[in-house]
Parts: sequence; structure tokens; C-alpha cells
Amino acid sequence: MRNYVLVPEALVVAGAVLLVLLGRAPRRSRRWAPLVATVLVAVALAVELWAGATLSTYLGGALVQDRFALFAKAAVLLAAGLAIAVTDWSDESAPAIGMAMILLAAFGVMIVASATDFVGLWAGLELAAAAGVVLASVRRADLGLRLLVAGGVASALVLIGLAFVYATTGSADLSTVRRVAASATDTLPLAIPVFLLLGGLAVRAGLPPFQFARLPVGLGASPLGAGILIGLVAAAALTVAFKISAALLPLPAAFSPYLMVVAAVAMVGGGAAALATRSPRARLAYLAAGQVGWVAAGLATHYRIGLGASLFLLGAFVVAATAGPAVMAGADVGEFALAGMGLLRPARAAGIALVFLSLAGVPPLAGFFGEFAVASALAQSGAFWLLALGLLGAVMSMAAAAGTLRAIYLQSPPDENRRAAGARLPVLTRLSTGGAVALCAVIAGYGVFANPIISLADQGAEALGLR
Amino acid sequence: MILAGIALASPTPAAVPGAGIFTSPLILSLSIWVPVAVAIGMNLIPNPRGRYDTLMKQIAFFTNLGIVFILFIAYNQFQTFLPGMQFEEKLPWLPSIGATYHLGVDGPGMTMMVLSGIIGIAAVLASWGVRERVRSYFCLLLLIQAAVNGAIAAHDMFVLVLFWGAVIIPAALLMLGWGGPRREAATWRLVGYWGLGTAALLVATMTAYAASGGSSFDMDVLLKATLTPRVQLAVGAALIVAAATRLPLFPLHGWARDVYSDAPLGVSVVIAGSASRLGAFLLLRALVASNPDAARLLAPFIAVLAAVTIGYAALVALRSVDLRSAAAHLAMVPGAITVFGLAALTPLSIAGAVLSMFTGGLAAALIVATAWTLSDRAQTRSLQLLSGLAPRMPILTWVFVIAALALLGVPLMASFPAETMILFGSFKTQPVGAFAIAAGLVLTAVALAVLVHRVLFGEPNHDAPAVSDASLRETWYLGLLAGALLWVGLFPGGPKLPGTEQPIFDAGLINIMSAGLSDIASPYVPPNPAATQ
Repeated sequence: MRNYVLVPEALVVAGAVLLVLLGRAPRRSRRWAPLVATVLVAVALAVELWAGATLSTYLGGALVQDRFALFAKAAVLLAAGLAIAVTDWSDESAPAIGMAMILLAAFGVMIVASATDFVGLWAGLELAAAAGVVLASVRRADLGLRLLVAGGVASALVLIGLAFVYATTGSADLSTVRRVAASATDTLPLAIPVFLLLGGLAVRAGLPPFQFARLPVGLGASPLGAGILIGLVAAAALTVAFKISAALLPLPAAFSPYLMVVAAVAMVGGGAAALATRSPRARLAYLAAGQVGWVAAGLATHYRIGLGASLFLLGAFVVAATAGPAVMAGADVGEFALAGMGLLRPARAAGIALVFLSLAGVPPLAGFFGEFAVASALAQSGAFWLLALGLLGAVMSMAAAAGTLRAIYLQSPPDENRRAAGARLPVLTRLSTGGAVALCAVIAGYGVFANPIISLADQGAEALGLR
Repeated sequence: MILAGIALASPTPAAVPGAGIFTSPLILSLSIWVPVAVAIGMNLIPNPRGRYDTLMKQIAFFTNLGIVFILFIAYNQFQTFLPGMQFEEKLPWLPSIGATYHLGVDGPGMTMMVLSGIIGIAAVLASWGVRERVRSYFCLLLLIQAAVNGAIAAHDMFVLVLFWGAVIIPAALLMLGWGGPRREAATWRLVGYWGLGTAALLVATMTAYAASGGSSFDMDVLLKATLTPRVQLAVGAALIVAAATRLPLFPLHGWARDVYSDAPLGVSVVIAGSASRLGAFLLLRALVASNPDAARLLAPFIAVLAAVTIGYAALVALRSVDLRSAAAHLAMVPGAITVFGLAALTPLSIAGAVLSMFTGGLAAALIVATAWTLSDRAQTRSLQLLSGLAPRMPILTWVFVIAALALLGVPLMASFPAETMILFGSFKTQPVGAFAIAAGLVLTAVALAVLVHRVLFGEPNHDAPAVSDASLRETWYLGLLAGALLWVGLFPGGPKLPGTEQPIFDAGLINIMSAGLSDIASPYVPPNPAATQ
């Protein structure tokens, strides 16, 4: 069984390489690529769930397969598979590159999830972010450049932070850092690099107030590109934050206050911004930022139950945030593009509605269960002020999601002239309809099957060395 | 004494004929998940250009009828002599945080379920005139009903929060899609206030959870944990905010006027009839029954809120120039009376409050529905135009008068025993509050008298648009609400075979609601002087 553990990574990388090569093949031969890519990811997910329970290390201890890696990898593969399935490929400038990039971004998160040292964390994060840059550049080179510059700043902050933590603790290995931290005291030389590191991750995740660079890019990118930026890159940054938080757990003062502030700003700012904006994709991005704030709040509790709840929420977040822009397809032009979608594309409309509601934390969907679990962890840790701010953000997010649902289900479809102006209806295919139905089933079923999922998330938190 | 006997006797009437024929361990789950499943199924039925709109309405109606049948079985099987929860279902859901899928009803819960069933049927009948996006409308209506049933049956705070919050989005969408001219403002007010209430409920839940060791959300554990007085007070205050937004109570009533005035009729009926009663039910379940110390401490505050609400609602209704707005404010009165019964904290007043949840829901739904129908039939909402309609609207006149009498709690109406129990039970513990409530009721009576006189029996206004009386469909839903009020008013203990104590088919709502009340009221039973001597 041990030999199969890296099969998902191998399948994902091989698929990405083949898809890049397929970009040069004639158009007709690319027709089946989305279905093949979806099946490939589904097989990788099945292998991950089947063989991923084996605990082992690889490549001289650089990668580890534990429950945390299993949970994160399974969530990312599920999100990537659903995003590929629901994407309207006729709207993508370079479909083969798009599929390859989402696979590479997923691979980046998988590396982060398995990494045991700073090098693996940084490499995985950069790989996921680079995939987003490539896909953003395909449609608009200027936005790609902007993302590259902003990403460079984030990367520099992360690198400086990691380097200083290495200098302070004397090791880049996460378990060694944790051992050293257990016998160290909170000092300014440690707090400053952690501050820089988490700041870099916040920029990567596009959290308010750091959304200035990523959000416009997300709005201008293709639907799949936006999904990578809003979902997978944020998931990579959060996974790094999980590992760093777990390594520095003996010194919570070094990271917890900062995470609390970031979480509070993200939860309230995300909800308020989602309420203020009318653009569906911007609203989705802000709702996602608000939910990232909930994940950060769970991390800030620096207890196993909090990290387990955050991991549980991360699974719900990554599926909704990655597949959300893809299922919305060309709705980035304005709210009118979603008008009447419930009538014209019922399965896709249901997918969009559930994505928005889940990101807003509306019961009884995936996001609600995750946010409730984090809320209970916050209550147990006594962070009631953060819980109150989170609830404020959730109420605003709920109102924002209701606005989008109104457009989908209660407004009449726009006339043909407006459609021609950019609000093109997604092309109906069996794969995209099936993908939308599967997306609905996952978001609605996450809570029904919450018991095994949260148990796995809890084991994931335990695998990070938390008791 | 008779009333006290009714409230405290824990009666054990003879079994109703037919009891025990059919039981299901999933009876509560069925009442929650059948509407959800039907709503999903309705969405899957192709409906090109609204060809099957009538079918959609019929499906929604028969689903509600099915739920009422399920609830009739539950009502019939309910053991009135058992104090604890019945029809319990318990499954682990999120064991790592201690959340379970735990449902169960006691007497008050069963009473609320019956109310929800009646309101469900009335809401579908009241919505029969919907012509746009019929499928979506009835799907959302079924989802609201499922969420209300879930919130009533929940015996785990996690499940309660889930269903409590799940009401908001379908209600908001129904407002946005089918509401009146001011639907936008009404919707955001509803989302804002109810969202605040949900947040407050979550804060209360989390505070109690953290203080009780963070092991379980089950009400048996969470609400019975030994909490410090400070925590009890914090939890109680948050629960009051949650309840006040839902009922509503002054000053968190901002949504009521707009929603009751501009929501589609069926939605107004559901909100006024059952969804808003959840506020009082929450206070009963989570404060009065579980935190006696906090309840005693906060009771004067709750009583003040109730008294101010009644006075404010009556005065605003008196000054209103819009019929629906006046009715919306008058619909706040029954909820305030219920809450006052809970605040009085005597076994009699608590029993009255439980009955008042049922009667208040029916009365509020009836006054809102009557005002809505009347203004629809008269083609205007303006009280400056509506005048002397009784000769031309005999059916609506009767229903309006019944609604007014039900709000005031006159004999023969179900609200009479409820209000009598509340006032009799509260004079010892909250004498000032009881006088204030009585004064508020006098003001309400004045407002209603002015309204009825002006609209129905005043000088006919020949400049007003043409009017017509209620149609057969409208008579059905209004008659159902009025009939339920009269039925319980005439037979609170159930109809009996002449000369015997043998119930015919209805065990009587008083008997049903009394199950479990002795447990809830036990901390508030005054010490017996004879026993202490």
C-alpha cells in the first residue's frame, strides 16, 4: 500500500504535463480533454482515499503522508475535479493550459500538505501561485504581471519570515522547530519574522486589507483562473499557516494575536465588502475572504479542537471557492448575467446558489457546519469578541448571498442585446451539468456526512502533533 | 382554582379511540424532511412556461395535508401523563464538538407542532393566488415550514441554531420575489433583525457550551449544566435578544411593519403564525425551563419589554393610516402577552404562556391575513378610504371581528383561557406588570374598536374603489384560522362523550400542553405554608 501513496501526485503531474502537450494538438483531439482530466482527478482522489491512510515518509523525510495530508489532499483533489467538470470550456482562452494549471495548483497544495520542512512549504505555495499567474496571463497579460509583482512581494515576505525563523530556531524542519519552540520563550526576534511570514500568507490568500492586488486579477481572469486564485492559492496559503502554527504552537503569543486580528478584519471586512459590491465574482471573492477569516480564527485558538475545526472548514471552503467562479462561468460582467439563471440553467444555478450560501455560512450547508465548529472552538478558548465579530460578518455575508440568489431565481433573464454585451450563457454539456449536480451534492452532503469528515479533520490536527 | 387545576393537574385522560394504531420512530423527522424532499422533488419536475403550476400548488397543499396527518398521529399517540420528551430521535452528528441530531417534543413542543401544521395549510391556501414563478414560491414555503418544524422539535442547541437560521433565506427570497412595493426595505430589515437574533442565539449557545465544559450541545446537558450566575445572566440576555427579534418585542420590532405589510399573504401567515412564535418557545425552552436563576433575575426586564410592546403596538395601530400597518402592529400583541406569561414565572402563568403561543400564533396570523385580504378586496390599504364595508363584506366582517375578539381574549376564543391564566398567574409575582399589560390590552381594545368601527361599521365612503367579499378560497384559510381558535376555545380539554370522561377523538390541547409543564414550572412553585409549619 505504501507504494501507492504518491500515485495521486504522479497522476496529477502526469496529467498536467500531458495537457500542456495537448495544447499543441489539433482542436478536435482536445474535445475529450475535460472529461479525461475529470476522470484522472477522480481516480487520483479515489487512490488518495484508498491508500492515503498509510502513514509513511518519502524522499528522505521531505514529504510525509499523515491524516492531515490525507484530508488536505482529498479536499483539493475534490475541488479541482469539480472545478474542471463545471467549467464552461468554451469560455476559456486556452482550455488545455487551464486544465494543466489547475492540476499544477492542486499539486502545489498537495506538496504543502505533505511538506515536513520550510522548503517544501515554500515550493508548494509558489507552485500553486505560479499556476494562478500563468492562467491569469493567458487572458490578460497586464493582470498576470500585476499578480506576479504582488506575488513577488508576498513571496519575499514569506521567505524572509521563514529565513528568520530558521535563523532563530536553527532548523528548517518543522518537527525540530516545534521541539526548539517548546523550550524557547516568546521573543521579539521570533515574533517579527512570524509576523512577516503570516503577512505574506495573508497577501497570498487575498485577505482584507491585502486584497488590493489579487482581487482585480481575480475579477479579470478566466473563471478557472479566478477559481485557482480565490480557492486553491488561498488553500495553499492556509495549509502553510496550519503547518507553521502547529510548529510554533508552544509559543502561541508569536502568532495567535496576529491571526486573531487578521481573522477579525477578514470576517467583518469580507462580509461588509460582499454586501457592498454588486459584481457576483467580486462578491464570491469577498465571501471567500470572510470564510478564510473563520479558518484563521480557528487557527488562532491554538488548540487541537480549533485547528481540527479549521481544517474541517478548509475542506468546505476550498470546494466552494475553487468551483464557484467556474460554475458561474461568464457572470463576471455583472449581476445581470446571473439573472434568470435558475430558469435557463437550473443545475448550474443551483450550484452557484449553494456555493454562495455555503461561503456565507448559511445553514444547513457545508460552510455553516465548518463555521459552527470553529465558533465552538472560539467559545471554548474564550475568544468571544472574535466570535461576535465573526457572527457580524456572517450576518452581512448572509444578506449578500441573498442578493445574488435573488438575481438567479427571481429576476428575469436579460434581453439578447445585453447577452451579446458579454453576459453569455454557459454552454450546456453533460459533463458540466453532472459537475454542477455533484457540486450541489458535495456542498449539501458535507453536513450530512459531517461525522466522518470532522473525525478525519480532527485526526489531521492530531497528526500535526497537537493533543 | 379551576385554572390552577387545569395547569397543574398532569391529567391522565382515557386513551383516545384509535391511539396506538400507527407509530413511527421517525415521526418528527418526517415532519421536517418530507417538506424538504418534496421541495427538491418539485424542482426536478419540468414545468415549461408554468404549465404545471396548478400541480405545484396541489403538491404543496397535499404535502401540508400529509404533514398534518403525521402530526395528527403524533398528537393522537402523545402520552399526556409523561413529563419528559416524547418521539425522541437521537443520532450522533458531530461527536468531536458534541453535536447530536436530537429531536423530541414535550407538551409545549407538541402544541407548537400542531400550530405549525395548521398554519402550514392556511399558508398554502392563502398563497393559491400566486401566479408568478409558482414552483419556486411553494418550494421556498415548504422549506420555511420544514425549518420551523425543525426548530420546534430540536433538542440539541446545534440543531436548533441550524433550523432557526435556516428560516431566514427562504423567507427573504419570498419577500424579494413576491413582496409588495417596499419589499427591498422589508427584506433587508428582516434579514438584519433575524440575522442579529440568530447571532445572539449562537452567542448564547456558545457561552453556555464553553461554560459547561464544551462537551455537548444536547439540551439535556447544555441547559442543565451548573453555570455561574454571571454566565447564566449573559446567556439569558442573549436569548432575550434572539427571542425579541423573532417575536418581535420592542425595540427590536423594526421588521414587523414592513414584512407584515409587504410580504405575500402566505408568507405573512407563516411568519406571524408560527415562525415568530419560535421566539417565545425559545425563551420557554432555554431560559424559563433551564436557567431559573437567570429567569428570575431577568423576569422584570422581560415584563417591561412585554408591557412596552403592547402599549407601543396599540398606540401605533391607533394612529396608523394604513390597514396592514395597523394589523402588523396589532399582531405584535399576542407575542408580548405570551412573553409576559413567561416572565411572571408562576406555574399558572407559564401554562397560560404555552397555550398563548398557540392561540397567539393563530390570532396574529388571522389579523394579518384578514387585513391583507380585506385591503386586497377593497383595492386600497388606506384607512382614510376604507369605511362602512360591513354590508358589502359580510364574511370578512365576521372574520375581522373574530380576529379582534381573539386578540383581546374574550370568552369562547382560545385566547381567553390563555390570557386569563397569564393574568391570574402574574398578579402575585408581577403586579405592576400585570396592570400594565391589562392597561395595554385596554389600549389594544380601543385601537381595535376604532379600527373595526371605522373600516366596517362607519359611514360608507362612496369615493372608495369598488369592493367585494372574500372568495371561497379566502374563506377557507380565514375560516381555518378562526375555526381553530373557536375549537380550542370551546373544547380546551377536548370534546367528550356526553355524560362520560371519554374523549371523542381529540385529547384536548390543554391536556396535551400540560405534559412536561410540571417539570418546567417546578422551580417556580411557591413554597406551601402548610407544609413548612
